[in-house]
Amino acid sequence: MNRPHQNKKATQTFSVEINGTKCSAETGETVFNVAKRNGIDIPVLCHDDRLAPAGACRVCLVEVEGQRRLQPGCAWVVTPDMQVTTESDRIEKHRTVLYNLYMADHELDAAGLPVETENNNQLRELCKTVKPMKLAPVNAPRDARPADNNPYIEFKPDLCILCARCTRYCDEVEGVNAITLANRGAETTIATAGQRSLIDTSCELCGGCIDTCPTGALVEKKSPQNLVQLDVATTRTTCNFCGVGCQMDLHTHNDRLVKITSPEPGQTLNDGNLCVKGRFAFDFVHHEDRITEPLIRGADGQLHPASWDEAIAVAAKGLLKVKEKHGSDSLGFISSSRCTGEENYLMQKVSRAAFGTNNIHQCAAT
Amino acid sequence: MFGAGAMTNAIDEIRDSEMMFIIGSNTTEAHPIIAMEMKRARQRGAKLVVADPREIWLAEMADLHLQLKPGTDVWLLSAMAHVIINEGLHDQAFIQAHTENFPAVVDKVQAYSPEEAEQITGVPAEDIRTAARWYATTRHAGIYYTLGITEHTHGTDNVYCLANLVLMTGHLGVRSAGMNPLRGQNNVQGANDAGATPIYFPGYQKVTDDSVREKFEAAWDVQLSPDDGLNLNVMMKEMEHGGIKGLYIMGEDIVISEPNVSKVERGLNQCDFIVCQEIFHNETTRFANVVLPGACFAEKDGVFTNSDRRVQRVRKAVDPPGEARPDWLILCQMARAAGYAMPEYPSPKEVFDEYASLTPKIAGISYERLQQNPSGLQWPCPTADHPGTPSLHLDGPMIGRAPFQAVDYRPSAELPDDEFPLVLSTGRTLYHYNSASQTRRDPGPVAKQRENFLEMHRYNAKQLGVKHGEKVKVLSRRGAVEAEVWVSPRVRVGCVWMPMHFAESRANLLTNDAGDAVTGTGEYKVCAVRVEKLGCDRG
Repeated sequence: MNRPHQNKKATQTFSVEINGTKCSAETGETVFNVAKRNGIDIPVLCHDDRLAPAGACRVCLVEVEGQRRLQPGCAWVVTPDMQVTTESDRIEKHRTVLYNLYMADHELDAAGLPVETENNNQLRELCKTVKPMKLAPVNAPRDARPADNNPYIEFKPDLCILCARCTRYCDEVEGVNAITLANRGAETTIATAGQRSLIDTSCELCGGCIDTCPTGALVEKKSPQNLVQLDVATTRTTCNFCGVGCQMDLHTHNDRLVKITSPEPGQTLNDGNLCVKGRFAFDFVHHEDRITEPLIRGADGQLHPASWDEAIAVAAKGLLKVKEKHGSDSLGFISSSRCTGEENYLMQKVSRAAFGTNNIHQCAAT
Repeated sequence: MFGAGAMTNAIDEIRDSEMMFIIGSNTTEAHPIIAMEMKRARQRGAKLVVADPREIWLAEMADLHLQLKPGTDVWLLSAMAHVIINEGLHDQAFIQAHTENFPAVVDKVQAYSPEEAEQITGVPAEDIRTAARWYATTRHAGIYYTLGITEHTHGTDNVYCLANLVLMTGHLGVRSAGMNPLRGQNNVQGANDAGATPIYFPGYQKVTDDSVREKFEAAWDVQLSPDDGLNLNVMMKEMEHGGIKGLYIMGEDIVISEPNVSKVERGLNQCDFIVCQEIFHNETTRFANVVLPGACFAEKDGVFTNSDRRVQRVRKAVDPPGEARPDWLILCQMARAAGYAMPEYPSPKEVFDEYASLTPKIAGISYERLQQNPSGLQWPCPTADHPGTPSLHLDGPMIGRAPFQAVDYRPSAELPDDEFPLVLSTGRTLYHYNSASQTRRDPGPVAKQRENFLEMHRYNAKQLGVKHGEKVKVLSRRGAVEAEVWVSPRVRVGCVWMPMHFAESRANLLTNDAGDAVTGTGEYKVCAVRVEKLGCDRG
């Protein structure tokens, strides 16, 4: 992807030291960004490159030379010659306690780990790396929205770690402010105004909240609930709605489309984002109304099923007869801006080479 | 633009804009992901000026909303040019080096003072001045527009006016600037590029150019017509006059999406033979002699080309239902049945290779390269080692000089009068897509927007004695539909707005099929209507 042009504040390049390795950094970068670029992995749950740093989950705490406390790597801005440590006994101890606290307030499976979820529960992966402390479960009565009849997005409060990625995405990227952190203390939850259905809020059903959620507390209602156990293939393709050209991954199972997701942020021009149509409006693909066989209108005025050979022959003959009687230029060919480039190429070739007319235009022309 | 017929700059440059001038584009609804880039730029401090008759969401977040009367764009844009020139804010060096005919525009826009523009457009003269000054004095300032500019009988004039602004300020060949038409459909750009137009072979090579035609005759082994074909708007009209007697329609519901559809229906009834290639039955297949079941995007391979000239792959994930076939295959079979020796392409890849070999702009693109480039390749990409072109004209002057076009204001074809006192504009919403054959089959869009509506200012609603949510009849000289009134602060007094998505209440029964003189694009954005209250017995 393109790098931003340098029209803003002058940036300075300098070096910092992470785990004893010299890394090059620029003004304004965070410890997390510099580390990531230099191949040093700092675990984090609440961070998404599309969002302003929040420092909410405390997973990414690192030691910064001269700082008494551990500091969040996702929010801590580097300065020249800063020395940072991302792995130490102190950090290990911190993570062990932190992950175990999260586990005390999370739905666990038989093995005592955070449950597997459709969106890859990142907390589960982190918890595998520390010793279990078996803390008593926390009583956190977070409200769900049982009456929310929106067809796409479900919130499972037991899986929520309150990192607020979803609400920040809704504010900062989509800009609709439909969901928010509500209530206090153990009762804090992700809510809409008055716990209304997302249908009755400013929510545009883009589903970006599902995508950014690190624990699977936000899930798609459309895809099978046991998707995580199914054999699912993915196919990278381009969205078929507007002219932005978002890239998307089609998840299929048994020759059926079960889910659509965006590639990771930073990889393609949609930067991890999709809209309501691209992400969710795919029921049409397997809809019972699809035309599944060629049809020819009979003398009775009705359309009747026919074989392909028959239908193609009748169609070509019908158009040729018009050409014979009224000339090539009495035919019109309407191509489709919904179809592929190859198909548009072929349609104009059919019109020009097979039927002899330049009366060819694509549908978006008027 | 400027020889390319596409966005001059790339979508991912938008986030680094210093100013965005958005005119005739409801980006958050029609291009939601581009709008996310605009929101990001806004959050990073970019100035935002929105010109639109409606107070769309972008207008709410804008520094300045120029709420012009529908169809007065030429006045607004010429007045901006007037300010830029008379205050000496134009880029003399750029004009001298890269353009021609500037004096004609200098003369022309003298008649378009901001004060007079205020009378005609309804936009305060001071706001016009501010917008012009901001635009002219900000380096990374881009223009973004869509069908609000082009769907007028003077659509081409609107585009010329915008191009004049870009050229006189030198906003070309600069990142996060330029002139950027946002394409409404996934492959509008690709369909044009591939030659689905009456005057061009693939790659904008003129059908009337003998040497070009000879090239295609040799490649396709056939003699080709040397005459420009009819554009879609003219084809639709010619059906009624007997000029068009047979149609092959692939993937468009013309009876919903063309303007003045009752005329289209009369024309279709007079045709001898109609073939429809579709995925769903729609209003148009009612007229078909043969219906061929095609495949949707998830069921075939190919490429789409987006608004910023980016060629990206479409890949098959599932099989088409029943006996439905990919459209490329059907087209080849049709050509052979008509007696033309269409090659036996094993897959769309070989079709693409033939297309690319005849089209210099994309000659360097191949399926192999697209596989290696997850974010696609942007044309021009003339050779296999060319990296593609995210932003046009960055590496120096354009080929030749870009001409300024002096433009006179012409009113829209149909203006309101006593009988039809309101101005109707039509458009799209976020939740539905064109004829909505796809989106109305999904619960979310339906839950958000179940049926057709008409946005109306409360002043007009009060005058008519109608309430929010009440069903009314909307009439134009061409037809009538029923719709729910949405009393909305988004529209101007005297203006109403309706989406085009609903088959049972077709906005295009009302719209005017008067076309732009150059492109034939219909005047979807301005027609005169009357709204009538329904009788009480109708509830």
